[in-house]
Amino acid sequence: MSDTTPERIHPFAALAALAFPGAGHLMLGQPVRAAAAAVGVLGLFFGGMFVGGIDVVDSREDQIWFYGEALVGPVALGVDYAHQHWFKAYGRDLRADPSAAGHQIILRSGYPDEHRVYDQAAKKWTWQPAPAGQGPPNVKSLAKVNEIGTLYCTLAGMMNLIIVLDALMPTRGRRVVVEPAGGDA
Amino acid sequence: MSVLAYTPFIDPINAHSWWYLLIVPLALGISAAFKAVRCGDMRRYPRQVLMMTVQIVAGVVALAAASYAVLYWVIPYVTPMPGS
Repeated sequence: MSDTTPERIHPFAALAALAFPGAGHLMLGQPVRAAAAAVGVLGLFFGGMFVGGIDVVDSREDQIWFYGEALVGPVALGVDYAHQHWFKAYGRDLRADPSAAGHQIILRSGYPDEHRVYDQAAKKWTWQPAPAGQGPPNVKSLAKVNEIGTLYCTLAGMMNLIIVLDALMPTRGRRVVVEPAGGDA
Repeated sequence: MSVLAYTPFIDPINAHSWWYLLIVPLALGISAAFKAVRCGDMRRYPRQVLMMTVQIVAGVVALAAASYAVLYWVIPYVTPMPGS
């Protein structure tokens, strides 16, 4: 018979696991399990960034996916902050009809022929036509590469949710064999 | 910054022709994270991660094969196109 009843509730271990993958199990005195969890979750998350670039963590343009990615914790929030503040800038929204006059100004990634320039008057970064040999600070990922990179990062968050729950209510998962009291029933 | 410069983790890799192979590291990462909490004896962790990775990849390959069979054999058999 397998016993999956939680031993105890560990709210601080769950909070630690939310703060950094594996930290909850480290608090519970399981360093090997903690290291394995951290390698798994962070490997998936940074693997996704390696595949799709920083563009796969985007709370504005891929909001639904970001809800899953945010479960990785402050690491994901920090990457998204860096993406929004250091890689994007304000420019015309060219997704609309290019012939339409007066495009809306939005915060977006740059096109290959643009570079980031700080507008002293408006006190914000803007996209301007790039001189030869220059371009935006990152290349936006497209098609399958973007989808797979986003999937990696979102699955990292979902796996971390499992790890947080295990830190909160450790069952060891683990199919502990319990002998029935008084022998066989 | 030059548009030709590639920066890992900032720019995407050029995997448009072999994207399907990325299922292998994806399965490995899922297995590594899942078995971290499900493995009873951590001495068996590497073996269990490897086993789960193989199971995921084999499952996805089987689903792909089944989808191919349905799309190219079953549907044309059930609803043949005129002239085919």
